[in-house]
Formats: sequence, C-alpha cells, structure tokens
Amino acid sequence: MTVLSMLEPFLPQLLLVVFALMMPALDYIFKDKRILAAVALAPLVGYAVMLVAWTLAGVWEPSESEISLIEVDLFSGVFALAFVSVGIIVVLSSPESIRQERNHGEYYALILLAVIGMTVVAMSTDLILLFVGLEVAGIASFALSGFSKREKRSAEAATKYFIVGGFSSALTLFAISLFYGVSGTTAIADMGPAMEAMFSSFDGMASVGTLATVMILAGLGFKVAIVPFHMWAPDVYEGSPNPISGLLAAASKKMGFAALFKIFLVGLLVTKADWDVAVAVIAIITMTVGNLIAVSQTNIKRMLAYSSVAQAGYILMVLPIGTEYALAGGLFHVLTHAFMKSGAFMVVSAMGARGVGESLNDFKGLRTRSPLLALAMTLLLLSLAGIPPLAGFASKFVLFSSAVYGSLDPGPSWLIWLAVAGILNSALSLYYYARVIKYMYMEKGPEDRISVPRLTGVAILFAVVMTVVLGIYFDAVVELCQQAAGGLFNP
Amino acid sequence: MLEGIPVLSLIILLPLVGSLIAFSLGKREDLAKWVALGFALAAFILSLVVAFEFVVDPYSAPSGTIESYSNGYQFYESHVWIETLGINYMVGMDGISLPLFVLTTLLCLLSIVFSWDTKKRPKEYFGLMLVLEVGVLGVFVSLDYFMFYVFWEIVLIPMYFMIGVWGGPNRDYAAIKFFIYTHIASLAMLIAIMAMYFEAGIETFSMVAIAEESVGFSRNIQFAIFAAMLFGFGVKLPMVPFHTWLPDAHVEAPTAGSVLLAGLLLKMGGYGLIRVAIPSLPTGAEDMMIVMAVIAVVSIVYGAVLCLAQTDLKKMVAYSSISHMGFVLLGYATLGELGIVAGVFQMFAHGLVTAVLFMMCGVLQHKCGTRLIPKLGGLAKKMPIAATLLTVGFLASLGLPGLVSFAAEFMVFAAMFFKWGMWVFVPIGAVAITAGYYLWALQRSMFGPLTDRIDTSHLKDVDWYEGVPVAILVVLIAIFGVFPSLVFDRIWPAVDFALRAFGGG
Repeated sequence: MTVLSMLEPFLPQLLLVVFALMMPALDYIFKDKRILAAVALAPLVGYAVMLVAWTLAGVWEPSESEISLIEVDLFSGVFALAFVSVGIIVVLSSPESIRQERNHGEYYALILLAVIGMTVVAMSTDLILLFVGLEVAGIASFALSGFSKREKRSAEAATKYFIVGGFSSALTLFAISLFYGVSGTTAIADMGPAMEAMFSSFDGMASVGTLATVMILAGLGFKVAIVPFHMWAPDVYEGSPNPISGLLAAASKKMGFAALFKIFLVGLLVTKADWDVAVAVIAIITMTVGNLIAVSQTNIKRMLAYSSVAQAGYILMVLPIGTEYALAGGLFHVLTHAFMKSGAFMVVSAMGARGVGESLNDFKGLRTRSPLLALAMTLLLLSLAGIPPLAGFASKFVLFSSAVYGSLDPGPSWLIWLAVAGILNSALSLYYYARVIKYMYMEKGPEDRISVPRLTGVAILFAVVMTVVLGIYFDAVVELCQQAAGGLFNP
Repeated sequence: MLEGIPVLSLIILLPLVGSLIAFSLGKREDLAKWVALGFALAAFILSLVVAFEFVVDPYSAPSGTIESYSNGYQFYESHVWIETLGINYMVGMDGISLPLFVLTTLLCLLSIVFSWDTKKRPKEYFGLMLVLEVGVLGVFVSLDYFMFYVFWEIVLIPMYFMIGVWGGPNRDYAAIKFFIYTHIASLAMLIAIMAMYFEAGIETFSMVAIAEESVGFSRNIQFAIFAAMLFGFGVKLPMVPFHTWLPDAHVEAPTAGSVLLAGLLLKMGGYGLIRVAIPSLPTGAEDMMIVMAVIAVVSIVYGAVLCLAQTDLKKMVAYSSISHMGFVLLGYATLGELGIVAGVFQMFAHGLVTAVLFMMCGVLQHKCGTRLIPKLGGLAKKMPIAATLLTVGFLASLGLPGLVSFAAEFMVFAAMFFKWGMWVFVPIGAVAITAGYYLWALQRSMFGPLTDRIDTSHLKDVDWYEGVPVAILVVLIAIFGVFPSLVFDRIWPAVDFALRAFGGG
C-alpha cells in the first residue's frame, strides 16, 4: 500500500486543501479581491463537475478503498453535491458582501476548509474520522461567523457559536468513547452487531449504550439545531456575515445530518426500537417550535434561522421511519433545502450589499424596488413552504409520504402522526413565508430602486433555477437518492 | 378532426403562455388585457371545439372501441413524468369534467372582459388570472393524483395575490386566511392520496389504476381515507363548519376574483369528490353517507338563514354559495346516479348563476360606491339594465323553473326523496328562505323610492364591458334552463360508469 494509493479517494479534498492554503498568499498579490473569489470557485466548480460526471457515468461503485475509514459512495456523493453547491453560491456572493472587511484570502480559505470538513463527514465510515471532519468544518465556521470584525453582533455570534460548538463536540466525543466501550470498535458498520453481542453477554451494558445514544443525539443535535439544542442558531445566523449565514444554515446543518444518518441508520439500527419514539417526538417538537417562533420574527435572517430549525425537524423524521425510501426522501430534502435556504439568504445578502437592512420592513414594496429579487425570494419562500411545483414540495412529498408508507402494515402505525405533524407544520410555516411575500408585493415601500449586485445575482439565479427545475423534473434526483439510500442500507 | 392533437394540453398551455407574456410586458402595461383576452378567447374557442367533438356516450360503444378512449376518457394523453415514483402526465376528459372545463374557459374569458378598466398593476392582474385558469383547467382534466395535486395548489397562489393586492380594506386578513385554510385542506387530501398510493401498492399515481385497487381496501382504511378526502374537498366546497374562509375571501376579493372563486374554485371541491373520493372508495362513502347528508342539509339551511341577516349584498351572495353548494353535497350523499348527476349539474348551474350575481354586485359597488342594502333603494329607475340583470340572476339563483338552477335542485330533491322520503322537506324549506332573502334584498335595493343616502345624480347604467359578460351568462342560464339535457346527457353516462363499483349504480 503506497501513500499515493491511500490518498487517492481524498484527491478532491487535497485539491481543496491546496487552494485553501494558497488563498492567504494570493491575498497579497491581487488588489482586486474578486479574483480571490474566482480562484476559490475553481476547485469547488471542479469538484461539482466531477460529482455530476461520476453520476452521469454511473461509476459510483463503492470503491475498494485501501483505508477502511472512508467510503466514496453515492450517499457521500449526494451530500458532497449539496455542500459544494452551497459553497459555490456562498463564494459567488461573497465579494460584494464582505467588501468592507479585510483578509479576504483567509475568508475564502476558511470556506474551502469548511467544505472539506463537511465532505469528509459524509464519506467517513469511522467515528474517529467523522469527528475529525466535524471539527475541521466546525472550527472553520466559528472563525467565519466572526468575520465582520467591526460588528459587535458578529463577534457575539462567533463567541456563542464557539462555546456551543465546543460543548457539542465534547458531547459527541464522549458519546464516541462510550460507543467504543460498548462495542469495541469505532467502525460504524461494525458497531451494531458488536453492541448486540455485548448487550446479550453483559448486564447493564445496554444502559451505557442508551447513554451513548442520548449523548450523540445531543452532540449532533447542536449541529443540526434540533430543539432543545437550537438556541444558538438564530443568534449566530443573525450575527454572521450574510453569505456565511447561508453556509451555516444550508451546509453545516446538513453535515450534522450526514453524521446522524450514518450513526443511527447504520450503526444503531439494531437498537432502533429503543430510540425511535423518542426521536420521533423530538422531530415533531423541533418542527413545531421552529415554526411557532418563526411566526413572531421580524428579522428575516432570524426567521430563516427558525425555519431552518423546523426543516431540521422534517429531516429528522427519517430516523424513526428508518426505511430506505425515507432516507431517500431525507437526502432529497437535504439537497433541495440546500438550494432554497442558501438562495433565500443570498437575497438578504444582495440587499445587504446595497445597504438595505434585513428586517421585515425593509422588504416592503420590494416588488417596485427590485422586481427580480422579489420574484426570486417569492419562489424560494414558496418552495420552503412546500407549494408545488417547486423543489421544496417535491422533496417534502417524498419525505412525508415515506412516513405514510412506513405506517402501513407491517410498520408501526404511529408513524402516520409524523406525516400529519409535518403537514400541519407546513401549513403553519406558510403563514410567515406568505407574510414576507405580502410585504414585498402588497405594501408600499421607499421609491428608490435596488440594483442587484451582479455576482450575488448569479448565485441567486443558480439557486432559483435549481429550485424550479428540481420541482418540475425530479425523476433522476429521486432515483439517485434512492440508490444512495440503498447503498447505505445494503453496502 | 382532433385526432392526434393533444388538444387538452394545448388548452392548458394557452393561458400559461399568455400569462408569461403578460408578466413580461414591461412598460406596456396597457397591452396586458389584450393579451389576456386573446389567450382566454383562444382557450375558450378550443374548448368549444372539444365540447362539440365530445362523444356523448363512449361506454355503450361496441366493445373493443372503448379502448381507444381509455376507460371512457376522451382526448386522452399520457406521458411519463417522474418514472421512479410512477408519476405520469395524464389528462383526459369525460362527461363530468366536460361541463366544468367549458365553464372554466367561459368564466375566465368573461371575467377578463369584466375587468377591462382595471388600472392597478394590470399586467400582474391579468397574468395571475390566466395562471388561475391554468390551475383550474388542469384540475378538471388530470388523471394522475400527483398532477391533480400540483394543479390544485397552483390555483391558491394567484387567488392569494388577487385578494391580497386588489382586494377590499380587510384584504390582508382575508388573503392569508384563504391561503392557509385551503392549504390545510389540500394537505389532508395529500395524506389521503399518499395513503391510497401506498395501500394500492402498484407504484403508480394514475387515478384509474388506483381506483381499481382501492375499491378492495378494507373498510377501516376506506373510511379513514374517505374522511380525509371529504375534509380536503369539503373545505373548498365549502361545507359547514369549514366554510368560514369563504365570506371573508369573497367580500374582500375583487369582483373577477369572486366570480372565479365562487364559479370555479368551489367546483374543484365538488369535482374532486365525484372524480376521486366516491368512486374509488365505495364502502368509505357508504359509511360516511349520513354524515355527508347531514352536513349538506345543515349547509343548505344554515347558509340560507345567514343570508337573511346580511346587509352587504356581496356577503349575501357569498353565503348563498354555501347554501347552494350544499345541494351538490346532498346530491352526492344519496350515492345514487340521479343524485350525483344532479350534483354535477348543480355545480355547472351555480357556476353560471353566481357569476352573474357577483358581477352585478361588482357593478353596484362600482357605480354606487357601496353594496350595503340599506343605503341602496329604487335603483331600477336610474339603472334599468342593471336592475333587470340582477333580477334575472336572483330569480335564477332561487330556482325559478325555466332557469338553470331549477333543474338541478329539482333533481337533487327527487333523489333525496327516493332515498330518505319526507326528510326532503327540510332542504325544501330552505328554498323558501332563499326566495325570501333574494326578493327582500331586491325590493330594498332596486325598487321602492330612490335612495337619498348616496349621490344618485350622476348614476350611470352598466358599462359595455360589464353588461356584455352578464348578458351572455343570462342567455346561457335561460338556454340551459330550458334544455338541461344538453348537459345532462353528457354527465349521465360518465356518472353511470364511475358508479360501477356500487354494483351497477
């Protein structure tokens, strides 16, 4: 086993690392900071092209990796596609949003590092590497959220995020050590059988296993912001620079789900009966609390943050249902949510770049101030609410229908309540999404026009096009997600 | 003449293209109404061609030929859409969808003419109206559940904007209430659809294919799915106690919005029940029969009583819709051929009549600046044409023989009498109330001494763009009142076929 062949599956990540390390140096060379964004964009676009090419060519055979810590399969591919897409959207809109800040080189380097960490999480098949990925992405994100150094609330966001993130990492690590204790392995796929053997031969081990399950749910729960571990999210999203809020909501959160899916649906599937009701209840509470608090928000970024909490609740449904079809729905929603949520934050970002605020009142009369931004925001919000024929509806359709499917014979019939809760919550969420639309189209605002910043406009266009296309034609994507889910369940 | 032409898709596509053109007109906002008129007219003419080409009774055709219609659905098209989930683009038309389909293209066209002097944001107004037409047309011809739901939901967005932007003083509240209330109902329907899809287990969303499986579902499952569907469709219908969104939405909506809301959107609920719920879930429907009948009678009576108490003419018409749509549900509740045919015909009739009423309310609002009955009076002296049209509309709505509603209501009563005997006098009593509130309102607003509560010195009669659509509708009300068989003959075989799960209907 040569070093080279060992590193082969990491090639895209290595490429990103090289670019990330180059960035600060390039910062000294180029006066025009937009070139930095272009350079940062190159490896991301390359990675995205590679992922799409692999998918089209159908070469997602689980590669015989010589190190057992990772597996480059379709599951990781779908997540990587979501992360890289968000990365592209964020980088595209950055030059116009962080113009006033210094150290652009570090900024792009950190974004690339965050994306590396996320993709590593999606690929890892071992708890240790998974944790490393979480930390790489986490530490990069802490620094990014505090990037607007002159703004008090940005510093506050970074501090808060750092403390909460550190705490959640500690919980996760503790859980991993307990899992190692009860199973004697850190390989996710081997955990289940090993734990079963351990539980049957030693009394009391099962309670350690339960403790570990609770710990890991809490640790990763902070990352994906499920209730009651969600408090940090609105403050951090509000305080971070606009593009970074998009990165956190649309990508960081999904990284947590990649980890949750792997650990719960591969490692802990054997003990599903112990945790499925509890997780289902948490999912319902998460979506309800997220939506209820979102209703009362007057700051768009906070509203989007709480909407993210609610969306996390929807995706969390996948765990208690625990079927291949549910996971396919979850992956699909991860993908569509990445586009709609990052797109929505980029609209805020575009307005921020033109000196317009981010409160609900600033959206008054956006129709006349910038018809295109208003239209884009409307489409993205309606998609988030799950109105057809937009992507959010398609993915929610698959996700919720998997709960209905799971509830039919021979599955537990209470799963239907997950679908009912999801659907009632969708209706509730419509209230605050429609209110933004009302402010944009039905209220009178200032007369001056807002010109859309060009690069951010491209990023928004990308997100909107994906939202519409994935809503009208999602055959290929659903099939992809089903294959990815199948690959995770039957390796 | 229509062999090989995807005519239904074409009709749905026309308003869609029209709306895109209207939205992208830029500064030439004054062109929007012409664009809308052109595309709506084209869609209407094509739908008339479809109506004339329609084979009245494809089911009794010699065996073997029926295949070409695909289960009795004519102008049938099917294309794979989302293969993984078994979703197809599938449209087709039978005798139940035909009258509602033509009604849609007609009312959209007339509403566009009626809105001719809209000055506020015209390109969006006319564009949204065409989007609405796309949604409603799609609902009436979809044969795939997924598609059906997509079109069903598309309708909500233009209506939300129409109420919210062009509505009355309390429009914010009415718009959001309409949007969320009907969205919740749609979602209940969505759960029902998902349950049917998985329970059938044949990996297709095709209504026809699922219906063949779903008639064999266990009693409990049928009951649960039917209950969810009844709620989903019933809110749109609307049935008491899920009707409260309707008066708010109607009072605040602009006139054309009200016409489309009452004329078409309510019909979507009634259409869904007969297209999907009743034929696919026969035992579920039988178990819910009494519930439906009771809700229907309560809607009829309660709606009528509420009408008596209204002082706002438009609100009165809105409540009368609840009462009249109750007849649709009552006809369905008998689960017999006669009742269901009558229910479908009542939808068609109500669509024509209520459009006249809402348009006349719009005219009064426009000319007099108010719709409050106590402020009006003796207007027949100043506005003879308006008074005539309003009178005909009221008479049609209260079920005067020779006008279109009479045939429908009479058949509903007949069906109910055969089923439940003397109970029929409860809804018949409501018809007396109906006559009461209409004539009383007419007396107070149109006849008697000329009012001095509003300035009547400059009062003009109807404008051409208001009078022409109403006059066309009035003529149609009379024609179909005298010759109801023009529509009946087409509905009957389709209902007969749909009810085959009930043992020959």
